[in-house]
Amino acid sequence: MSRYWLVTLFQKLALIAMALGITPIALAQDAGAAPEVERIVNRANMVSYFQGRDGRARVAMTITDSQGRTRSRELTILRRDGPETDAVEGGAYLGEQKYYVYFRRPADVSQMTLLVWKHQDRDDDRWLYLPALDLVKRIAASDKRTSFVGSDFFYEDISGRSIDADSHELIETTDNYYVVRNKPKRPGEVEFAYYDVYIHKQSFLPVRTEYIDDSDNLYRRYTALAVEKVQGYPTVVKARMENLRNGGTTELTYSGIDYDLSLPEDVFSERYLRRAPREYLQ
Amino acid sequence: MSEKTESSWLQFATDRPRLTVWTMVVVTLMLVGLAALPSLWPERFGLLNPLTIDTDPENMLSGDEPVRVFHDDMKEQFSLYDMVVVGVVNESDPDGVFNVGSLRRLYELTEYASTLRWPDPDNPGRQEGVVEEDMLALSRVDNIEQEGVGSVRFSWLMPEPPDTRNQALAILERAQRIPLFDNTLVSADGKAVALYLPLTSKDMSYRVREALLDKVAGWEDTSDQVYITGLPVAEDTFGVQMFYQMAISAPLAMLVIFLAMWWFFRHVRLITSAMIVAMVAAASTMALLVISGSTVHIMSSMIPVFIMPIAVLDAVHILSEFFDRYPHHRERRRAIREVMGILFKPMLFTTLTTMAGFASLALTPIPPVQVFGIFIAIGVFLAWLCTVTFIPAYIMLMPERRLTGFGHAVGDPDGNTVMGRWLHRLGEGVVGHARAVLVVTMVVVVAASYGISQIRINDNPVKWFEPEHPIRVADRVLNEHFGGTYMAYLALVPEGGDVILADYRQTFLDRLASHQKDVQAQEDATVAVFEELRAMAREVSGDTDSAKAFLDELDQRVGVQLDAASDTRYDAWLEAQSFVDGERQRSETFKSPEVLRYIARLQQRLGETGVVGKSNSVADVVKTVHRELLGGDAEAFRIPDRPAAVAQTLLTYQNGHRPQDLWHFVTPDYQNASIWVQLTSGDNRDMSRVVEALNDFIATNPPPASLQARWFGLNYINVVWQEKMVSGMAMALFGSFVVVLLLMALLFRSLLWGLLCMIPLTVTIGAIYGLIGIVGKNYDMPVAVLSALSLGLAVDYAIHFLARTRATQAETGSWRRSVAPMFGEPARAITRNAIVLGVGFLPLLAAPLVPYQTVGVFIAAILLTAGLSTLLILPALITLLQRWLFPGARRAVPNSQKQEEGVQ
Repeated sequence: MSRYWLVTLFQKLALIAMALGITPIALAQDAGAAPEVERIVNRANMVSYFQGRDGRARVAMTITDSQGRTRSRELTILRRDGPETDAVEGGAYLGEQKYYVYFRRPADVSQMTLLVWKHQDRDDDRWLYLPALDLVKRIAASDKRTSFVGSDFFYEDISGRSIDADSHELIETTDNYYVVRNKPKRPGEVEFAYYDVYIHKQSFLPVRTEYIDDSDNLYRRYTALAVEKVQGYPTVVKARMENLRNGGTTELTYSGIDYDLSLPEDVFSERYLRRAPREYLQ
Repeated sequence: MSEKTESSWLQFATDRPRLTVWTMVVVTLMLVGLAALPSLWPERFGLLNPLTIDTDPENMLSGDEPVRVFHDDMKEQFSLYDMVVVGVVNESDPDGVFNVGSLRRLYELTEYASTLRWPDPDNPGRQEGVVEEDMLALSRVDNIEQEGVGSVRFSWLMPEPPDTRNQALAILERAQRIPLFDNTLVSADGKAVALYLPLTSKDMSYRVREALLDKVAGWEDTSDQVYITGLPVAEDTFGVQMFYQMAISAPLAMLVIFLAMWWFFRHVRLITSAMIVAMVAAASTMALLVISGSTVHIMSSMIPVFIMPIAVLDAVHILSEFFDRYPHHRERRRAIREVMGILFKPMLFTTLTTMAGFASLALTPIPPVQVFGIFIAIGVFLAWLCTVTFIPAYIMLMPERRLTGFGHAVGDPDGNTVMGRWLHRLGEGVVGHARAVLVVTMVVVVAASYGISQIRINDNPVKWFEPEHPIRVADRVLNEHFGGTYMAYLALVPEGGDVILADYRQTFLDRLASHQKDVQAQEDATVAVFEELRAMAREVSGDTDSAKAFLDELDQRVGVQLDAASDTRYDAWLEAQSFVDGERQRSETFKSPEVLRYIARLQQRLGETGVVGKSNSVADVVKTVHRELLGGDAEAFRIPDRPAAVAQTLLTYQNGHRPQDLWHFVTPDYQNASIWVQLTSGDNRDMSRVVEALNDFIATNPPPASLQARWFGLNYINVVWQEKMVSGMAMALFGSFVVVLLLMALLFRSLLWGLLCMIPLTVTIGAIYGLIGIVGKNYDMPVAVLSALSLGLAVDYAIHFLARTRATQAETGSWRRSVAPMFGEPARAITRNAIVLGVGFLPLLAAPLVPYQTVGVFIAAILLTAGLSTLLILPALITLLQRWLFPGARRAVPNSQKQEEGVQ
């Protein structure tokens, strides 16, 4: 469930203050029952990808294959949201977004940079800078379900899947979770038949996502492994994606997480691909 | 075996016939039961071994052979699977397969194939069948191409079936631009596309193939042809055809033998006894094979067909002799005892030599051949045991009146039958023209030596099928269209183990010093941090012993410093980390442009052999992605100049749908690489040519890094087992020759007689193999295997002939006077035997697999020739050597036997 659990670095628990204001109302409205599914989904998407004006994290990526062979990468990711507010009512869960990814390690890919402009109504824009070839290349990305730098995560897992791409159904409410089933509106474009997301009731953090294929087999699973409060908000600091078909796993560990850094907009432009903004990368 | 034992056995069998028969029946049923029960109800008889079929040609070598261990290791390291190859060919559409209709069907077939998975009965929760992720198909692979200026697009090559002719043709054009797909996935003429279906295990291929055939059954009114091949399919088909062979050829052999015996003896009841012996021996042997846990392989499936004719051999001798003697006595007990008295020893020795011939196969390093040899040896022994006990008992149980009319009428059997007259004349002729016979023999020997020198060693498991078999047809068609469906892999692996720290430490410090010079001009923090790194490197190097461990520890310590670094020193520590990282990456051989260019040249050389239609490697991936990143011009189709550029190119590639594809060509540590080599022929000698071409190339172009090139893949395994088989067979042939010779010397208590005994079959085998060399038939697995065993089998005639010669000579007192009796009953027995046995193997011609047919023709030819050469060469030699063979020959006192023969 790409969108939710994206979780990863940028999610801060919605401004909890705001959430506190809203939740009791929602509960009151539904007379103690679960809130309607669209609300849950919107909320989870906001918590996963859109909290705060901007954010930064260092990511240690460990890719392990079925034979236990590992590859490590270290990146720094910067993010800046289009919407000025985090309020779900203001549509904060589906705004425009920009990501800047800077590779640190291994040495031979260090200083590679990747810029993503995420759009809601059209294909994302992507640019890649390859320092060893001194080349900036625009990458056409009509399909977001491709590997994120060779890992088991997809681009869509990192930046979020459009809410409108799926229909949503609340299939279960447990003590701790809302379980939402998502079915693609255009099944031909994706490899899953549907996916179930386990959304934590209090934080609206998706903690597990299970992808099921056309033969009704679970083949891919996301799990949030550790959540910490960063600047007061619960944040996923360790996450895992498993490819159950080939036995591959990728773990992401986040450190140096910061929110609301007031990153200037022009950092997320082609100009900065060749010249990394060191001051913001720490 | 003393004469006493011999007669006490016989006594028992003739005195207690019922008990003898019952013992045999009970023991046989017990054995068959022990084998059948666990095969039919495996869950209830878990402790016993069920019948297991093994069709895997890899098992021609034992599992711990280095080449197989390496093969398995590499298959795992590069995540390679056995594959079913599906070819869709359209010869009639002007656009070939690249028309809207064909591509739509192909798309659907691909989608369907991707679902061919079933729950794995052995691993609950897991599935077996097609490995969807690694399928290679137009709709399952990534395309990379230019999209406007400065932009590159990664997308599915055929995300959905095309709607228009132009879209269809565009797919062909795109696929052919990508070297990995051209000639592998699409043919150069656009008439064919391939679909590669990796399997979780080979034994799923039959199921997958059946499902695919069902799916395409509805395509009959289209112009698309579908071909399904790939080694796993061939193997599964072997399995089915092996059963067919056992179900058809073995009973057919029984029938043919029965008819041949009936022709000679015309007494159903008596020849039934021989058939019973054959069945008991064959059934018990197969039962023992199953009980022992051995698998039924293409070789061992022939065991019944081998045992049955050999089993009736001794029975034929007994019946033949009984046939001739019974009319004299008209009393079965006396007749059978007399027959057994004459035949016991030759039968024992012929059994021992046959056993030795087969058992010598245990000297080959090929497990299925060993099992085949050992179990036939056991079967031959069982057949002998039954023959000397059961047949006399059986005859005793027959009412005397039933034997009325059996045998030659007292009179002149020689003159009464065609064979008798013909043999009689033959004997006279040979003895009269002994020198001429030997001259002709010498000519044959010389021609044979020439032929043997021309023998071409070659095999190809796909050619085990008949030419019109669907697998052969698919093989032919697909290899015409593509770069080859036979896959061999060349692994490039580091030579030697870890670098020793003692050597590496100084290198590291030197490079660090040079780097420090470069950073002199930079901020103080950087200079200071690198000094700290130098100190750290000295410290660490004391605690570890390999370069890798050293760098790991250094990296870890730098990491600690980095985390604790102040803002002013953070960047400096980052740089230090990068330096250490760079050192670690020096082991990543296959990011080196020099090494990649070497691979490209090596591939080019392999392509020049004429057998390699295509090869794929990490160098092709790098070149293709590099070209597209740089704007798509052909000029950019090259390896970039720096390792970092290679690394960044590959990281870009891994942003696609199939990042795992890279790991089929290189391991994630970039220390091992594999080159996929597609051959258009599965002939072992073609593979050998490629191997030689590579050796030449490496000898003149040593690799830039310390690398060794090692082949793997089934095509290469085939070459290895073939080499082992050739040398192993020489060993087996030699072994069985020596054993048989020793047995003969022992039997005749004379080395000269022993040698004499070896001559006809040596000439026979030489002549047959010489013929193979002259007509240019491949020396393949069945031909090789037969050399050793036929020696043990063909010597039988010489034993019988010489043993009888000695007995007869003792009676007649001279060789000249023994000729007529020798070309009486003994020659008839040999002739009957050669015919029954030779004809008995011919039903293998009805078998659907070529190796069975080869065995059938071949062994029949050996037996008939051996029979003939025994009757020609031995009397000729004896004639010339009689002075040494019968020293002090005296005139024998005429006895009753002599008189009878005189009457004849």
